[in-house]
Amino acid sequence: MVNDVADQTAALNQPTGLPRLLPLVPGVPEDLRTHLARYGRPPLGDPGRLINAVEQAGLTGRGGAAFPVYRKLAIVARARGRKVIVANGAESEPASGKDGLLLRAAPNLVLDGLQLAAEAIGAGEAYLYLHPGVSPEILRALSQRAAAGLDRVSVTITEAPPRFLAGQESALVNRLGGGPAVPTFTPPRVTEAGLRGAPTLVQNVETLAHVALIARYGPRWFRALGTADEPGTMLTTVHTEHGAQIIEAEIGVPLRTLISQDTDVQAVLIGGFHGAWLPAAALGTLALSNSALNSHQAALGAGVIAALPADRCGLAEAARVVRYLAAESAGQCGPCLNGLPRMAAALAELAGRGHRKQTRADLERWAGLVTGRGACNHPDGTVRFVRSTLTVFAAEIGLHARGHCSATDRTPFLPLPDRMPLTEDDWT
Amino acid sequence: MTGTTAFWYASRATGVVALLLLTAVLVLGILVNRQGRLPGLPRFAVTSLHRNISLLAVAFITVHVLTAVLDTYVSIPLVSGVIPFASGYERLWLGLGAISFDLMLAMIITSLVRGHLNRILWRAIHLLAYLCWPVAFAHSIGSSRDLQHGWLLDLAIGCALVVAAAVLWRLASAARQLPRAARVAAILAQHGPHASRQASDRQAQERISR
Repeated sequence: MVNDVADQTAALNQPTGLPRLLPLVPGVPEDLRTHLARYGRPPLGDPGRLINAVEQAGLTGRGGAAFPVYRKLAIVARARGRKVIVANGAESEPASGKDGLLLRAAPNLVLDGLQLAAEAIGAGEAYLYLHPGVSPEILRALSQRAAAGLDRVSVTITEAPPRFLAGQESALVNRLGGGPAVPTFTPPRVTEAGLRGAPTLVQNVETLAHVALIARYGPRWFRALGTADEPGTMLTTVHTEHGAQIIEAEIGVPLRTLISQDTDVQAVLIGGFHGAWLPAAALGTLALSNSALNSHQAALGAGVIAALPADRCGLAEAARVVRYLAAESAGQCGPCLNGLPRMAAALAELAGRGHRKQTRADLERWAGLVTGRGACNHPDGTVRFVRSTLTVFAAEIGLHARGHCSATDRTPFLPLPDRMPLTEDDWT
Repeated sequence: MTGTTAFWYASRATGVVALLLLTAVLVLGILVNRQGRLPGLPRFAVTSLHRNISLLAVAFITVHVLTAVLDTYVSIPLVSGVIPFASGYERLWLGLGAISFDLMLAMIITSLVRGHLNRILWRAIHLLAYLCWPVAFAHSIGSSRDLQHGWLLDLAIGCALVVAAAVLWRLASAARQLPRAARVAAILAQHGPHASRQASDRQAQERISR
């Protein structure tokens, strides 16, 4: 409850303002000693309270889907028998760096959240799923915590392949089970039958970090920042012509405040490669929240915000991205396997000079055909990106049709890996 | 032609058409499974054809069963359309017909609610098609004197040959199938010029890997 006694007693030494998750000294990772000095020990031993507190706090998943966290917690808590919890740190989005940074800078907050959530749902097995580069910091944190006797459930680290879909829930469960990180059809959901059939709770690492704070300071504290519908803060990865920056922002702040004023922006990509482009004009009016963005067919996703500089070509950027997304199809569902490469080729044609007359119509038709036809939302997310490209860069498409391009700088802007998967090993 | 012989003829005719439709459904299903195409049709149209013809076949089979029951020359109880071996007349052959009809209903019902079903369960039930067609074929030949000679026999043999060829093609196609991980690269290579990523993408990637 909001008026919980524990909530009020905690109010005595609650931190205020920003940042909540990131280190107080920017760029200096917090080891266990600084972590405990800043937040105190995780309040384990009161598992009945956490799910209620998370519900009151209104915390939503920070991995991209913004699903209410308490509901997933409650579903797995209700299940009987062996249960599994996974902290998902394998942010698959090449343009997102926030989970990697959080794991390096505040590993103990994530691990606190993992232990608290494990206790709340009664999980006997805990996993941390992440990309290889982060492991040393986590291993150090785990050994320090073991020495301090902080953790009740031992944590197994599993490394994710560098695939766009590797962090998708069912792909993650397949990988933990020893198979390739490819999605499977639902049902069953992983909360019902996940790792080796056990009900499995998969939460993004940032989500778990918020859980660790809600457990300490209560839902009222959590709601002190953010909006009534979307409380709290979120980690964003903001790309401008000056480079990428990870910012912990209060939900609901004007988007413009995240992008330095001296940049000349022509369009903004919100929500990453499964997200949507918005015209630069939207920057002035929109807030960092799903309720504000939904009316523009956009969503925050995992918090990627890329401000495309005025001197780049949005079509060329979009064509590179869709090519990448097509290459990252798991190759299981026909519409995705066959449709995405066609869409990528058509977009590349639009990004070139003087495209065929029917190419744009083809692209819209294929977009309709692949939507809703995959085991995961890869085709749907790709279509969202493509459709917004066609809308926001409509004028640029006309320019290219006549053999021109408004860009003066041809350097790629959005970050993309340079290697596509070719064998099964690339998926494990 | 009296009223009752009209039922008899209608039952024969719908039975023959149903056999042709079931053959088409099986062949189209194999095409869908192997992601094959028909000349002049996009891939998704093959899926729609497979679905719609399967529903059409069930409509024909329903008429086929009802007219056989309504025909009073021999007595066939209505329940024998779905309950195997419930008919005194041609117990074995009509029983096979009921079994194949039940299998069809199982496949269609599980397909209609596929979004709520476990994919492995749906697939296991759908594999029953390879049992359903031969059983329906045996029912056709066994219970109909017409199909045992003349051009209707030729038609039946034609259907069997088409199904045998489609199944063999399916097995051969599965044997030479690319491993899952290699499929995407193969299809990407067919579309568009830059099959391999440009090295310049690396610069942009470095901005974020810190």
